[in-house]
Amino acid sequence: MFASIEDVITRFATHGYIASRRLATVVYLATGMKKPVLVEGPAGVGKTELAKVLALAVELPLVRLQCYEGLDEGKALYEWEYAKQLLYTQILKDKIGDVLRDTSTLAGAVERIAREDAVFFSERFILPRPLLKAISSDRPTVLLVDEIDKADQEFEAFLLEVLSDFQVTVPELGTLKANHIPLVVLTSNNARELSDALKRRCLHLYVDFPDRDQELAIIGAKAPEARRELAEEVVSVVQSLRKLDLKKTPGISETLDWIKALTLLNIESLDHELVSETFDAIVKYEGDVRRAQEQLKEYLRGARARRGQGSDRDLLN
Amino acid sequence: MDQKLIEFAGLLRENGIRVSLAETLDAVEACQRVGLGDRESVYAALRCTMVKRASDAEAFDRLFAFFFSGLGEIIKQAGQAVQRELELSERELQELIDRLAKLLAERGDELSALARELLSEDSARLEERIREAAKQIRRLFPGEADGAYRFRLRLAEAIDLRALERERAKILQAVDESRHDPLTRARMAHYVERRFNALEDILRRFAAGETGEEARRERNVQGLSEKSFHYMTEEELDRIREAVTRLAQRLKNAASLRRHNSRRGRFDAKKTLRRSLRWGGVPFDLRFDKRKKDKPQIVVLCDVSDSVRSVARFMLQLVYSLQDLYWRVRSFIFVADLAEVTHNFRANDVGRAIDLALNGSVLNVYAHSNFGRAFRIFVENYAGIVNKKTTVVVLGDGRNNYNLPGDQFLGEIRRRAKQVFWFNPEGRATWGFGDSEMERYALQCDVVEECRNLNQLYRVVDRLVAR
Repeated sequence: MFASIEDVITRFATHGYIASRRLATVVYLATGMKKPVLVEGPAGVGKTELAKVLALAVELPLVRLQCYEGLDEGKALYEWEYAKQLLYTQILKDKIGDVLRDTSTLAGAVERIAREDAVFFSERFILPRPLLKAISSDRPTVLLVDEIDKADQEFEAFLLEVLSDFQVTVPELGTLKANHIPLVVLTSNNARELSDALKRRCLHLYVDFPDRDQELAIIGAKAPEARRELAEEVVSVVQSLRKLDLKKTPGISETLDWIKALTLLNIESLDHELVSETFDAIVKYEGDVRRAQEQLKEYLRGARARRGQGSDRDLLN
Repeated sequence: MDQKLIEFAGLLRENGIRVSLAETLDAVEACQRVGLGDRESVYAALRCTMVKRASDAEAFDRLFAFFFSGLGEIIKQAGQAVQRELELSERELQELIDRLAKLLAERGDELSALARELLSEDSARLEERIREAAKQIRRLFPGEADGAYRFRLRLAEAIDLRALERERAKILQAVDESRHDPLTRARMAHYVERRFNALEDILRRFAAGETGEEARRERNVQGLSEKSFHYMTEEELDRIREAVTRLAQRLKNAASLRRHNSRRGRFDAKKTLRRSLRWGGVPFDLRFDKRKKDKPQIVVLCDVSDSVRSVARFMLQLVYSLQDLYWRVRSFIFVADLAEVTHNFRANDVGRAIDLALNGSVLNVYAHSNFGRAFRIFVENYAGIVNKKTTVVVLGDGRNNYNLPGDQFLGEIRRRAKQVFWFNPEGRATWGFGDSEMERYALQCDVVEECRNLNQLYRVVDRLVAR
């Protein structure tokens, strides 16, 4: 799928994803070894994006399974379309009457119906959910299991079974085996510790907040309309915000939102009275907003001092 | 390479990182795929296959650097250490080395190859020499590659360290008799001393690495989970705080799972049939009987006096998450007085809530704890909130400073409540000694548990959830 690690980096870059060498290595290995990747890291560092870009880069359809508390097999794998089955029985009442016409006993009738029950438990009445879709697809897919940590432990165990064999047993139909093994990406915010068994099956990738240069590169790729000087200022502030103990630390997506908002408002420098009103883009809690504003003031003071120094020196020379 | 990776996996295991056989196999395959040319890729390949927990990452990084540094790295580090110690720039050092070489050449003393390599910082030759010696030792004395000490002695013998000692004296003498200024002479002497010592250091580290002894020394001796809260360092406390957060999450999961499972009762045939009349007897709409949900009510009384200060934070953190979890939790803290903090906890985030509880603004936290009085105040003012559905949890060490025990008040609480739990951060062995009234209080409780390390905290939480 990928020729080399460099190939991963360049192909991801064409889709606007700046991949570090480590991330690229893991992706390269995962496609080569046909192993699921478990991506962990704080919110907003591009975990979900990774799966989407992977699907684009290898030109395969993406099947997404969003996990949440109480997610069960019915929602993840398949469900019988109960209402449709009932509707069909109603519509086919006459036909069923025909089938049963020449039976005289109840037992005989049941026997006759039983002979026909395969009709009602066929693939026609099955409603495929993401997992079954990914497995039974005609071409390979990228399966994204998002926020697996939000699902219950039971579901995790069930997923484990699917991920190790890539086959599903539907009692009425038998075992459905995958035509192609999908590329699986699981993401987790570490809301709870995942089971060791699941982790053992996966390649583990920890994505952290990007450093300054990486973040600038990401802005360059994702928001090319933003001015370079503004981007540098924004990144400095965001990086310093991440060092604070905020309720919700701003991720890359927040940085992008913010810089897009600023660009849209034609703000050229953070030294602008409208800036504090765009803060909602980057910090999401009332208390955080206050602390972020203090941090911004401090940054501007520092920046002004630096600039002041610079101009003084100019005068001296 | 396979052999090396298996050794590395063993090293990780010894340091508390769980690496399964399947994962080792993955690591081998991953290494084959990325090739061994690039250190960064090998690192990424091993890390993604062998380390699955973010908390293990730091240990892995350390061990990786150690294990794959090799002899060349050790020699380089030793050289850098000498340079740092002499406080010379690279150029100055090179100059010093050249002058020393010239001096020795002028005197016409014949130096051994080893001494020349050592003094001229010829790392590549030195490395080759030591490797050759090691290979020879392995061949000649196969049993001795196990112990670092004996291995090092053999190595020293093989490269003739004793002859080098004699040479050291000779060189130092030559430096001393030279006509350089005193500062340069002192520097040269110092350099020679350090370089020769560095060789010993190199041999020691190489031997330790080859025999895997250093690795064993790196091992974390004591797991955190069995260590008492009282003896923890600041860094360990941080890690515990994380663990408690995870614990709270686990609590939440267990609770939500139970709620989820009880959401649907059994299939209710009667109701389903009745509903089906609308559609001519076709059971479109399935009915299940509803289970009555047992909403737990919890009242927590948490001791925050000086004697349990180190534990109080975790306890409060746990209280906070309990309150987060169940709607009907009332939280109280006490020392000699008793005050309710339910509101406080609901309005603030966890760190601030705990700070508020402990900084003395709610009640005097520097008083001597008086459990009896606290229980009496509770019964007098809050008895109404305890009923047959309520679980009362007391967190405290039961050290009453010889005040009236007031266990009848605890008894009164128990009569009204469904159950009373007491979790004590003190070791069971010390209960009842000194001013501890624990044995008296224990009679009034349904469950008494020791809770002084992480494992016990886990057990306690399981207990809470199970009820």
